[in-house]
Amino acid sequence: MVSIHVNGKVRQASSRERNLLSYLRYDLGLTGTKHGCGEGLCGACTVLVDGQALRACETTVGEVAGGSITTIEGLAQNGALHPVQQAFVDESAMQCGYCTPGFIMAVVALLSREGRPSRDQIREALAENMCRCGTYQRIQRAVERAARAMGGAER
Amino acid sequence: MEIADEGLSIVGQVAVGLPQQQTATWLAVRPDGSVTAYAGKVEYGQGIRTGFAMEVADELRVPPGSVEVVLGDTQRVPWDWGTAGSQSTATVGLQLRKAAATARQALLELATDRLDLPLTELICREGRVVSRTDPSRGMAYGNLVAGQSLIRDLMDDIELTPADEFVVMARPAERMDAVARVTGHALYSQDVAVEGMLFAKVLRPPSFGAKLVDLDTSLAERLPGVVQVVRDSDLVAVLAATDEQAEFATKMLEARWEEMVDHPSHWDVPDLLLRTAREAETTQEAGFLEDGFRTADGILEATYYIPYISNAPMEPRAAVAQWNEDRLTVWAGTQRPFGIRAELAQHFQISEDMVQVIAPEIGGAFGGKSIYAVAAEAARLAKMAERPVRVAYSRAEEMTWSTFRPAALIEVRSGFNSDGAIVAWEFRAYHASSAPNAQMGRLRGRRGSQTPYAVQNVKVTVAASESPLPAASYRSLGGAVNHFAREAHIDEIAEAVGMDPVELRLRNLTHPRFRQVLETAAERFGWSSAKPPSKRGVGVAIGLDVGTYVATCVQVDVLASEVKVQRVTAALDCGLTVNPEGAASQVEGSIIMGMGTALYEAIDFEGGHVLNAGFTRYRVPRINDTPAIDVVLVGDPDTPSTGAGEPAIVPIAAAIANAVFDMTGRRHRELPIQRHLR
Repeated sequence: MVSIHVNGKVRQASSRERNLLSYLRYDLGLTGTKHGCGEGLCGACTVLVDGQALRACETTVGEVAGGSITTIEGLAQNGALHPVQQAFVDESAMQCGYCTPGFIMAVVALLSREGRPSRDQIREALAENMCRCGTYQRIQRAVERAARAMGGAER
Repeated sequence: MEIADEGLSIVGQVAVGLPQQQTATWLAVRPDGSVTAYAGKVEYGQGIRTGFAMEVADELRVPPGSVEVVLGDTQRVPWDWGTAGSQSTATVGLQLRKAAATARQALLELATDRLDLPLTELICREGRVVSRTDPSRGMAYGNLVAGQSLIRDLMDDIELTPADEFVVMARPAERMDAVARVTGHALYSQDVAVEGMLFAKVLRPPSFGAKLVDLDTSLAERLPGVVQVVRDSDLVAVLAATDEQAEFATKMLEARWEEMVDHPSHWDVPDLLLRTAREAETTQEAGFLEDGFRTADGILEATYYIPYISNAPMEPRAAVAQWNEDRLTVWAGTQRPFGIRAELAQHFQISEDMVQVIAPEIGGAFGGKSIYAVAAEAARLAKMAERPVRVAYSRAEEMTWSTFRPAALIEVRSGFNSDGAIVAWEFRAYHASSAPNAQMGRLRGRRGSQTPYAVQNVKVTVAASESPLPAASYRSLGGAVNHFAREAHIDEIAEAVGMDPVELRLRNLTHPRFRQVLETAAERFGWSSAKPPSKRGVGVAIGLDVGTYVATCVQVDVLASEVKVQRVTAALDCGLTVNPEGAASQVEGSIIMGMGTALYEAIDFEGGHVLNAGFTRYRVPRINDTPAIDVVLVGDPDTPSTGAGEPAIVPIAAAIANAVFDMTGRRHRELPIQRHLR
């Protein structure tokens, strides 16, 4: 057994070798984190480990056992959407929504290290996340909106 | 179907225009004032949940947020043939408007008794029937229907709200399902879990057409977590407690296969399409082709080739099946829940009433998820295991064992005068098809094959050819493929006669809606007249798909091995645009997807193996490939809605190819362009 912090709670996993994405989705029922490719190429499984974006599909529970994991379910606080979530709603930055949690987690990580990312920084940071519905222009606007809402310093 | 125990139900024919003679509940108003709309369509991103709610809200004079839309559950919603062809708003949306207008009429009639006022004195407003002269006299819908079970027939000829009285429709609205999507609570078939469910991994053949000749399961059966190895004729699967255990054990199955030796490879396809063409259908014919060519000042001939591509939805197909005695429930993110229900009933030789198919949220489909083999696999395995079973494709399975947009080869010969008038148009299309006969095979390929230009001498033929890969639906079917050839060729005519490509198109276009979208797009884009190639990297193309008119202008930059699409302007006329925000998003998405087909995407296969069944070697557009997209919606709100989900994909590939030519002076008649850049 191994202990792991997920969304502020201590949870148990049966094995250090358990795939993190499978563990979150099937053992904990946190299905907001999505399986898109299993190869770390689409970003649908992005979670935060100590604030850093990480591909859960390519990670084992043991590799992150010491860290604190945040999934999409852990982002809203006391029923209030995180500003990044709110910005995606306001910009209708989604269609099927399957990539949305992964994008949001990647954006949260981006904005935590770069309060007011430039257009090119956004495009570079999110180039590993796929949206097959093609809502990228809206996602770009949502990131800019969230950055403003979070009061990130302009460079 | 559901009849409200208490309240008002509007019951009408299912499947408008189809021979199904059943009725179903389309709308219910309950004593708490809530409104439920029922539709057999499914939501895979296109935003119909929001669009339907807006339509009902406007007709019923309630806020859209008070309308719940139930979709894609065969037990609860009217029968439907499937969600495809951009038809949801045009058909079911209209039916829901009629249902809501019928409900409004019924509520007004109920109120005449209760309020003791004549019908002419009453009006519906914000969920209440009120007196026109004294708005304090009124009654909430919920109170009007409380304590009763009222059923009214949907009135097909009921008068609908005119566009100038809309307060909800034709105004941009946020998606109703946005919060569920951003919080991770939206449930997809990949996410469905039921008590006691086993994870299955199906043994897939090593190549297309391979036959299993020998199987040793003894090692796999002894592995931890493995509950059972199931073999049901051609279906072999490991059932285990976890996904990883099932996957690992499946790799430990010792299988011997007999593989096909002569499976064609991707480079064989152009020849194969010509060689195996079955009888062609003439989809357009006018005048005398040879007369046109004889009088023409110039003649051009060119061949265009479009390879197989993958729909590659973000969500790989998954299904969960559960048997309860003889009743079967399957969660499957399919575009065709009623069709899958029929297939399951047929397979198990049970009545369709005993099968419930629930399509939850669908993580992208783009046409392909009408075919959904994992539903039957899960149901078969669950029956044998006597436990609920989940089958989910991996990315590689999704991009190998689902379906592909068929490859096509198109030969065009055109005759034109030096003033740019096209006088002869011959278009011969060969589309790969997996359909069992020639007639069905042509169904996809014929879409968009006809020329919209006013040409006197025309012959357009479409033939279905053999398909080495399972070919099926993809956004716009053959529409985008046929449009690529036609609109790329029109550009070649512009070059030949030394005329600006927008002017040449206008020279040959008479349809006012077509001219309007082209003129609008060109103006918004800032198009200025020039002979191609102008070295500016601009391109234009037009399209007509599902009754919707679209024109697209693009600007590209061409680097050594990379085409960068910098900006795109698209003007679209789909009649009444229920949710302009949703329609604009669909147009943007179509442009991005079509940009992938133009520049990067092609499925490679050799010896029965797909060589790029994953995102390492199958490139799709990313955010850093994304141009600035300007969408102009010009539809007249009093013109019936056509569709907005597909049309914007039809001109984009040609517009990009034309822009690349405009920059480099080099024609790209074969997609994807980036493979042929050097």
